Amino acid sequence: MAEHTQDWAKVKKSYLMVGIALFFCTGLTLALGLWAPFDVGPPGPTPGDYVIGLAVATFKASLVALIFMHLNHEKSLVYKTLVFTVLFFLSLMVLTLFTASDPILEQYDTYESTNGKLIEKL
Amino acid sequence: MEIPYEVKPRRDTGLYNAKLGVWLFLASEVMLFGGLFSAYVFLRAGVQDGVDNPWPWGLNVHKDYVWLGFINTLVLIGSSVGVVFAWVALKERNWRRFQIYMYSVVACAVVFMCIKGVEYNSKLNHHHGIKLLDNSVMEGTILDKTDRVRFEGTTVSFSIQGALPAFLKDLDDEAFPTFTVVDAKNEDGSAVTLTSMSELKKWFLQERRRVAGELTGERKRYRSEIASGAETPTPVSVTTSATLKAAEPFHLHANPRKVIGHSDTGVNYRDGSKVEGTLISDDVLFEIHEVDMQLVLPQKQRDSILWDVVNDEGAKQEFFAKQQKYYETFREYYAERNEIMPEKMLRGHKLNLHYVHVGGHGDDHEHGDDHEHSKKGEEKHEVEVHSSESKPSAAGSKVEGDGGHHGTITVPRDKIKFMGNHGPRYGNYYAIYFTMTALHGLHVVGGALVLLFFVVFGKKLYLKNPEHLANRVEVGGLFWHFVDLIWIFLFPIMYLL
Amino acid sequence: MSTVTVETTDQSHDDHDHHDHYEPFWKKYIFSTDHKTIGIQYGFTSLIFLAFGFFLMMVMRWSIAYPDRAVPLLADWPWFQAWLDDGGKVTGDLYNMFGAMHGTIMVFLGVVPLAFGAFGNYVTPLQIGAVDMAFPRLNMASYWFFLLGGVLMFVSFFLPSGAAKAGWTNYSPLATTTDIHYGDLFWTGQTQWLMGMVFLISSSLLGAVNFICTIINLRCRGMTWMRMPFFVWAMLVTGFLLLLAFPPLEVAAIMQLMDRMAGTSFYIPTGLNVSGMAFDAAGGGSPLLYQHLFWFLAHPEVYVLILPAIAIVSEIIPCNTRKPLWGYKTMVYAVMVLGFLAFIVWAHHMYITGMGPAISTFFQTTTVLISIPSVILITSLLISMWGGSIRFNVPMLFATAFIPMFGIGGLTGLPLAFSLPDLHLHDTYYVIGHFHYVVAPGTIFALFAGIYHWYPKITGRMMGTRLGHWHFWPSLIFMNGIFAPMFFQGMAGFHRRAFDGGKAYEQISNQVFAEPNSFIANICELLRVIEPDAAVRMIDLNIVTSGAAWLLAVAQVPFIINLFISGFIGKKANSDNPWNATTLDWATPTPPPHGNFITEPVAYRGPYEYSVPGADKDYTPQFEDGPTALVEDNGAEEVEEEESHA
Ligand code: HEM
Ligand SMILES: [Cu+2]
Repeated sequence: MAEHTQDWAKVKKSYLMVGIALFFCTGLTLALGLWAPFDVGPPGPTPGDYVIGLAVATFKASLVALIFMHLNHEKSLVYKTLVFTVLFFLSLMVLTLFTASDPILEQYDTYESTNGKLIEKL
Repeated sequence: MEIPYEVKPRRDTGLYNAKLGVWLFLASEVMLFGGLFSAYVFLRAGVQDGVDNPWPWGLNVHKDYVWLGFINTLVLIGSSVGVVFAWVALKERNWRRFQIYMYSVVACAVVFMCIKGVEYNSKLNHHHGIKLLDNSVMEGTILDKTDRVRFEGTTVSFSIQGALPAFLKDLDDEAFPTFTVVDAKNEDGSAVTLTSMSELKKWFLQERRRVAGELTGERKRYRSEIASGAETPTPVSVTTSATLKAAEPFHLHANPRKVIGHSDTGVNYRDGSKVEGTLISDDVLFEIHEVDMQLVLPQKQRDSILWDVVNDEGAKQEFFAKQQKYYETFREYYAERNEIMPEKMLRGHKLNLHYVHVGGHGDDHEHGDDHEHSKKGEEKHEVEVHSSESKPSAAGSKVEGDGGHHGTITVPRDKIKFMGNHGPRYGNYYAIYFTMTALHGLHVVGGALVLLFFVVFGKKLYLKNPEHLANRVEVGGLFWHFVDLIWIFLFPIMYLL
Repeated sequence: MSTVTVETTDQSHDDHDHHDHYEPFWKKYIFSTDHKTIGIQYGFTSLIFLAFGFFLMMVMRWSIAYPDRAVPLLADWPWFQAWLDDGGKVTGDLYNMFGAMHGTIMVFLGVVPLAFGAFGNYVTPLQIGAVDMAFPRLNMASYWFFLLGGVLMFVSFFLPSGAAKAGWTNYSPLATTTDIHYGDLFWTGQTQWLMGMVFLISSSLLGAVNFICTIINLRCRGMTWMRMPFFVWAMLVTGFLLLLAFPPLEVAAIMQLMDRMAGTSFYIPTGLNVSGMAFDAAGGGSPLLYQHLFWFLAHPEVYVLILPAIAIVSEIIPCNTRKPLWGYKTMVYAVMVLGFLAFIVWAHHMYITGMGPAISTFFQTTTVLISIPSVILITSLLISMWGGSIRFNVPMLFATAFIPMFGIGGLTGLPLAFSLPDLHLHDTYYVIGHFHYVVAPGTIFALFAGIYHWYPKITGRMMGTRLGHWHFWPSLIFMNGIFAPMFFQGMAGFHRRAFDGGKAYEQISNQVFAEPNSFIANICELLRVIEPDAAVRMIDLNIVTSGAAWLLAVAQVPFIINLFISGFIGKKANSDNPWNATTLDWATPTPPPHGNFITEPVAYRGPYEYSVPGADKDYTPQFEDGPTALVEDNGAEEVEEEESHA
């Protein structure tokens, strides 16, 4: 088995580095959330902020998945299972959203549907 | 009989059973949390401007508890590192080191859950909100459980079919009155009296059986009359309700969610039970901290009934002054970029940035919260907000009693559309926040128990077949990392965005 | 072992063989970890639930056929006092409760556990030559979770609120607000339905992990992927469907539980009114969210209902036609494609929820696409029979009947795949007819076939043929008698879930189905369904259907007798392989002992080598060494390679 001959000191070092990177990124996430200079777009959480926040989270998550969960060298069967799982998860999320974004009826008057009349100018 | 490939991987798949198993399990977990994340996105994207409760901003909800979320993230990441090190220790056949790492992982889990408890406690017990009929919202604390209708009952009536009547839950157990059943006699002719809850329940079950029996008999008769060709069979008549009279008036704290309506003389429960007597009070005592007008059309905000309820001209002025300032920041932002400000920015979830303090502060804890919150507002948008210490105008609001509760107001119940603590019921953000974090917490507890099991009872297996234990720890670790991974996403979407 | 005690009866096994030869009764039959015992436990439990679901249906059918007559026999039962009206008639509440629970019980407690839990558990490890499931204790846990869920569902009938009443789909906000007036919301049927579902889902998830692991990792030597019987392939795909589709339903159930118990409004829109009163919730939720999460499971679930059935039939047909399964590989790929597509068609149940044309086109397309693999499967089975010398024994009768019945169910589904006809047919009896053709004369027939087929392996005795015929022919007739009229009623506009069978809608129910004195009218007259010389109205078909349903119950009597007595007095199976089948499950002793095989099984060839030219008999089992018939079978080297490793 390959693992018996592995150099554990090296492995431990890489785990430690990943741990530190994760700590750092968590700090970064918080800073992004709290500090105005990091706020993208108009004040408050806007799509730009979502993208940045989720990008950092995704980066962290992939570190965990790749290094801690050994997905950087796993058997093909595991990859196959996970690929399909992720595909189905995405279809659940995306198709569900699509059905909501393409309704036959506008059920309520919204700012857009009333061409701005719903709310008078301030 | 031995199952093959429990320790050694199978040659063509390269996996031992448990590892394959845990990956499959994790796949289903991906779908589980995937479903919840989808629900989150669906609900958040589906908020109808001006109709539904706006999706609050995580930072505003958690205020200084954001730090707790941050610490929790670090704790979980730390524990993840601990698990891989524990696994390496096993691979290096170092039991002692394995123990140390594994126990610290479990300790991390305990810390995580404790912090979670603190967070939950603050939301469930210290923060409340009241939405008035015109959708204006007051945030603060409901005092002394006054969300319940206080009532002095003398007579109750209810059905003796089906479930126990709902009002029983709202009775004071200690001061249980002596009830006499109206129109009923014991065998010796004395009145039927019930002196405790358990007696009442026992009596109810007895009566229920009796009524069911009577009903069966009556219906049999009725059907046989029909069968024998009777033109107008005597209808089935069985008394299926009972009335109890209390010897002395008793106190009732009626849960508004179980009640359809109440008046000065009676409370009607949803399940049909009725309590008669006199109303003591149905006013809600509320310590108000913040006002939120996001759901009120801007041109109607000045006439909102909220200002009648608060009855504090100074606070009102201050609110609109701050609101103006706040709009300015938006105007500036878009003016700088030469863009037109989309009006819906002002109606969307942005506006809850400017909760405004009214009233003084009863308790220091809340005080700290608001302070922190205002500071955040300042940092983020350079809105100049009065620091909460200088709040002269607000002290003029109606003050109930004296001492502690400054800024306590009385909210008439007929003006209230919705009220509650910041628990899952308060809105969809809270609902999904509690559901996801609680489910995640369950995973933490479950994972920690499994890991604890490995370290407490693993020695025997370690001595027999250390590789087997290492496999188990690897598999348990995979689950643990997954739990960490979920939290990595939960932290930003629940606390920051 | 220095002192030889009398109890040490079996000395042939040495110490490292951890065989417990003596197992106490409770360990052997109740808390057993043996996949075969668990399979039988699943089988019995689910048969009981099937019977119970059938009973509920018979009461419903009474209410539909005779909405203004007292239910016979039941009116004096104490339990029914709360739910029948004074005259002994079925109330709307009772009908709703029985309808919801009939659906739930049949799907989650009857067919899936019988098909996947019982047959899957019993047969899969045998067919791949494994000693047991990969995680035997997990397997046991999954049975007990299932039982717990089932018991919760059953007990909920006896709560003051009765069992769930909002349909097996449990759509919110109806399901959220049903029985909301009870003081103790937790002990209402609607809440207990959710609790029961959480257990059933957990059980299915554990089961699915176990099945997939077993199939992937515990195949015996030589059992390469393409040598697995189709049954095993179908179980693998079914396992994946359960594994990945059930969690979203668990989410849906948890969120509905929160809505009921914690007052959240995941599925409660802003401003909801219930019985004329504003509903006390924060609002902002979406009823459609529930439907999405529900159907994300429930569409794959219909394949969970049907794939094991196809699996069983595809074992029985080659065996009894003495021909290889036609297009084995095509079927394998088809079932995989089907499994994949099953995840992206769910919103075809939601065409009328206001989905726009773009997204609805997507779902129509995928839905039509998924019919292709289904047709491949069924066509392959049909072609497999072509030119065979067919043995029409009882399992084969059921298996043969499965094909046209499933065919009718499938073809009548096509109109529902398109949003335009679906607008008309949605929620009518047409839909009820359509899916019942798939699950009742379809799946249930396949399950019967499976019981007759594997019975000799389980008990060592054959089930009686004559009783089998008495079971099959009436069942076939009455099944069609029940479900065929539903298509006509549905197209005429009969709405489902109507406890008076559509009587209240006279314009619909009085439409003429057959003119007076026509052939059909004459038959109906003969059966006393209509007055002499009257036309057959659509609503008269209710009586035909209901009558057929009760007669169907009678037709199950021979089966029940057969099932119980054949174990004692049935003809002894003449060998361990009475049907002369080829798969590994027939290589075991009868009944298979704990650990299944006496000698280590090896698969030397593909699963369906029947009537191989030049062979000495008309079947060459997988476990028989020798040259293989198929040129493209490349598993042979692998056996050798593994042998050299071992
Ligand atoms: C073989 C005999 C069966 C008969 C005669 C039968 C009959 C019925 C009837 C009369 C209804 C109610 C229709 C309505 O009022 O809308 C119904 C509903 C249903 N049945 Fe069956 N059924 C049978 C077997 C099955 C099986 C085997 C399954 C599932 C695997 C099943 C699943 C369902 C479902 C899911 C519903 C819908 C319940 C609802 O409306 O929520 N049935 N069935
Ligand atoms: Cu479907």
